[in-house]
Amino acid sequence: MNKQLFQLLWRHYRKRLIALGAISLLVIIGISLADAGTWVVKPGQRLLSDQVNQWMLYQFSNRGTVSLFSFWLLFVFWVGGFLLMNQDLKDHFNQFLFTSGYRRQTIYWAKLLLGLGVLLGITVMTTGVQYLVYWLKVPAGVTFNLAWPGMLASWGIGLANAVGMFAIFWFAALIVGQTGALIVTVSGFTLSVVGWANVWSEWIKMTPVQSEWFSALGWVVAALILFIWGSVLYARLSLEHNGEYLMFPGLKVPVYIVFVLYVTFLFSVNAGELAPGMTAFIISALFGYWWLWRPRFSRLRHRSDAD
Amino acid sequence: MLRVSKLRKTIEHHDIINDISFDWRPGEIVGLVGRNGVGKTTLFRTMTHQYVADQGTVAIDDHDLLAEPAYQRQLFFIDTQYNFLANYRLNELPDFYRLVYRDFDQARYRELLQRFNLHAGDQYRQLSKGMRALVNVILALTSNAPYIILDEPFDGLDVIVRENISTMVIDEVADQQKGFLISSHDLNELDGLSDRVLLLKDSRLAHDYNLEDVREKARKIQLVFKDKQIPDLLKQHSKLIRVSGRVLVVVFPAYTPELAAQLQALQPVLMEELPLTLEDLFRANLSQDTGYQMMK
Repeated sequence: MNKQLFQLLWRHYRKRLIALGAISLLVIIGISLADAGTWVVKPGQRLLSDQVNQWMLYQFSNRGTVSLFSFWLLFVFWVGGFLLMNQDLKDHFNQFLFTSGYRRQTIYWAKLLLGLGVLLGITVMTTGVQYLVYWLKVPAGVTFNLAWPGMLASWGIGLANAVGMFAIFWFAALIVGQTGALIVTVSGFTLSVVGWANVWSEWIKMTPVQSEWFSALGWVVAALILFIWGSVLYARLSLEHNGEYLMFPGLKVPVYIVFVLYVTFLFSVNAGELAPGMTAFIISALFGYWWLWRPRFSRLRHRSDAD
Repeated sequence: MLRVSKLRKTIEHHDIINDISFDWRPGEIVGLVGRNGVGKTTLFRTMTHQYVADQGTVAIDDHDLLAEPAYQRQLFFIDTQYNFLANYRLNELPDFYRLVYRDFDQARYRELLQRFNLHAGDQYRQLSKGMRALVNVILALTSNAPYIILDEPFDGLDVIVRENISTMVIDEVADQQKGFLISSHDLNELDGLSDRVLLLKDSRLAHDYNLEDVREKARKIQLVFKDKQIPDLLKQHSKLIRVSGRVLVVVFPAYTPELAAQLQALQPVLMEELPLTLEDLFRANLSQDTGYQMMK
């Protein structure tokens, strides 16, 4: 990768990434102090339950909340995907990047590496501070009994989930050219996926450990698919569609089909009856068609933008 | 040499530019003119790959910019409508441009800011339209890219600054190392600058004028005839650009001694040659508000 390209990208992203890091630090201090407030431990006891010796995500026990990988970091990664991909479209940095003499693929992977690298740095820094606050708040005589299995599992599963969150917003911000609609779309999709994951984990016959690792693997695979697919699309990104819902008109039909099927599926699964599913199908089909094929607005925009 | 070959861009199934081909060499100042909405900026955006072309190529010294994007650093373009500069102070902009344009001249950039009374600490977004246009030109000149595209560079600038910029552009091409492709609605400004003018019409390149050749062959003549009837000779060989009562101002694209003799034979009351400007060519080729059809 080209050193000057990284310098260029860092020069542009540094303010927003540093701000994200600073906010993250403040929030994590608040979360850590709040966690410490939930602890019910007596001298001679251990702060963490025995679950910390298992290869699974450690969040809390009956002694209180001790999160070895904070859920807040999932949100930080989620926002990171938005900041890196959507903002380049909105502040027109893509125009500069596309004329900068670097291959689109090189720009894409450099952006991704830089973004994930900085987010990992933020994760290490904020989690370090979180552990420090925990350590300082541990009551006298109580052991802060960290153990590798719980620690590594929390980081592994947490990072996999975080990268998945990042990939969702990163990819969606590449194909959606309207910021408000993008936030609504991705928020809805993310919440539905999280909700669906909870339903799904009750259906499958796996142990909690297996379920967590299987889910983490799913996030990593999904993220890899989205990253690679995104790189293919990025190379074809043409900026005349900036401001339209879809930056790639060729994706209208696939997006429409996926949207209608997904919404119908969600309502059918949760309700378990035919009527809600049919209603969801009709509403999503009509709304999706109206939303994606509004030729009048689109033409008006281009008429003023053609020159 | 930069070569644009059969470039085409379609938006919403409409050809915005189609079959655009031309060559452009360092040392040339090429003007790009055309009516509003004809696709001048779309041509620039497609040439610089902000828009993905539906067809055609842009190559520098036979290197296709799509296949070998590094050559794109020889081509400079700031989109006046959509650029990332708004969030930065003027003294921060070289941090970006020096990383892309290896010969970016920071010292000259600072010197030009001072010369035009621009404060390095000011944010780009706080500048007036004219001052922004000036910063764009300064960045273009100090990039030291061999091919520089300027989109409406004189828009919003006062006459003194315009003259300064024109002088700088002419100085830059003197050593034949740089070429400019300039779109402008200020045809008088282009007239004094350009060696060549590309005329876009109906999404296509309608004419590629060498102004020296045009001035050699074409004539602008003011005529008054005794009666109101327009002679067929005029309708066949000239383009009407202005009518005021019985005074006709016409442009003959290919004026010959034979044509002059035929005109004299029509015994006009007044026949006077006027200086031919780029605006006259523009009117003769593009105006829909004047022309012989309006007099029927």
